[in-house]
Amino acid sequence: MEISLVQALLIGLWTAFCYSGMLFGIYTNRALVLSFGVGLILGDVPTALSCGAIAELAFMGFGVGAGGTVPPNPIGPGIIGTLMAITMADVTPETALSLSIPFAVAIQFLQTFVYTLTSGNQEIATNALREHKFGKWHLFSNFTVILFAIVGFILGFLGASSMSLLSQLVALVPQWLLKGLSVAGGMLPGIGFAMIMSVMLEKKFVPFALLGYIAAAYLKMPVIGVALVGCVFALKHYNDVKENAVTQGASELAANDGEPAGREDWI
Amino acid sequence: MTEDITTASSEKDKSASEHKLTTHDYNVTTLRSYFLQNGFNYSNYQGLGYGLVLYPAFKKIYGENTDRLAKELEQNSEFYNTNPNFLPFITSLHLAMADEGADYEDIRGIKMALMGPLAGIGDSLSQFCIAPLFSTIFASLAMSGVAAAPLLFLVAMNGVLISIKFAVAAQGRKLGTTIIDKLSSELSTISETASMIGVTVISGLVATYVKMNVGISFAAGAAQEGVKQSTVNIQSMLDGIAPALLPVLYTALMYWLIKKKGWDTYKLVILTVVLGIVLSVCGILV
Repeated sequence: MEISLVQALLIGLWTAFCYSGMLFGIYTNRALVLSFGVGLILGDVPTALSCGAIAELAFMGFGVGAGGTVPPNPIGPGIIGTLMAITMADVTPETALSLSIPFAVAIQFLQTFVYTLTSGNQEIATNALREHKFGKWHLFSNFTVILFAIVGFILGFLGASSMSLLSQLVALVPQWLLKGLSVAGGMLPGIGFAMIMSVMLEKKFVPFALLGYIAAAYLKMPVIGVALVGCVFALKHYNDVKENAVTQGASELAANDGEPAGREDWI
Repeated sequence: MTEDITTASSEKDKSASEHKLTTHDYNVTTLRSYFLQNGFNYSNYQGLGYGLVLYPAFKKIYGENTDRLAKELEQNSEFYNTNPNFLPFITSLHLAMADEGADYEDIRGIKMALMGPLAGIGDSLSQFCIAPLFSTIFASLAMSGVAAAPLLFLVAMNGVLISIKFAVAAQGRKLGTTIIDKLSSELSTISETASMIGVTVISGLVATYVKMNVGISFAAGAAQEGVKQSTVNIQSMLDGIAPALLPVLYTALMYWLIKKKGWDTYKLVILTVVLGIVLSVCGILV
């Protein structure tokens, strides 16, 4: 399948929007969202959905960490990987995930480079303030997000327009290796789950891990069902904690009765 | 610091009519917390963004006194790094104090003191609870073909996050000195509850979405003429022991390598890709 110039431009703009959205904190720079846009633009939403979902799960754990740390970037699988899976016949979503990992890592370094590049902006912006040049101050206070948009556009546009070259390269990859990459792609989400578990799983949560396994593996429940079963026990725990707080004294109760109705909205 | 706040709030009652900022200004500032990282860089992190978020409100407070405005913005460009979703708590508090006429020196202490704890609470709530929870739920919906799943993900994520922004902004404006303690004890219970659901869902997903299938079958018994050769399929044997056994074990191995061996993402990815290829070439996994 050929990608037209208009489609490549649109993919560039979509990547620019999603990538700068990461700085806004609106969660657009996720594989699930990135690949959905590519699917809409190229008219193959089903492939995009499965690429995005697999990569979303695999990359879920990569973003966790202290503020300011830069993880491998979901643009790798979300844009480049999805493009591969849609345009190349023998690339499955799993293979695309494996093939796009080097891009994710390269973009990660690119991002660190941008943050370093903008390190001098504080100096420029403060000098502008001393001269009362508020326009210039605005420009440099927004410089990182502008750079992100530009970098995102270039990545999306270049990725989309170099697909025929990339597909020639992928055609050189022997069949056994593609198949192996596909098997690896099926295993990669395990890393994402393990990463997130390494942060979340405390000893007291182990029963919940078992609960999830039983509900999914033995009872074959869909994920929403698994979440609801987890909800039942978690809410029970929450109520128990609240009740303990009540018995501990009326003074603490007074401090805690802020918004009883609002609490369940969080779940 | 505590003294500063109490002074500020008692002054607030006296000079209520002299306030320059309205609820609208607070709301605008809360919405501008999306701009916190627009100038992110490795020398002052969110420092430039902090000033950017407060700019319209500062302009209103310090009016046409451009010297003062420039000075305030410059002072606020110092290093800052917190969670954008909890920033409105700090900015509302900051504006309420500044609107009372408090100097930056008075505000600075509380601004800096709140930075770390709110980053901690905010990151653990948004990164470790809400994001993984929605991410897994909507990714699996997408996997089962729900085309709107990515959009629903965005709506759910941002709906929750913007509610947090406005909720904490209101608390910050109220200037409660005890509120940060209350907030953090309340939030730890909430985030614990959310973690329980998160752990349940993620371990369920391990069983569903990590794919490892053994492709080996053995011939059972000696081959006989005219009798159909019966085979033992390793995968169905494993499924008989426990469903999704290999995915669970492999994820457990990854977990162990992260927790006990301190492996980083690269090593894990390389190991997985190499293992995947080798096991596939050997015909063990299909």
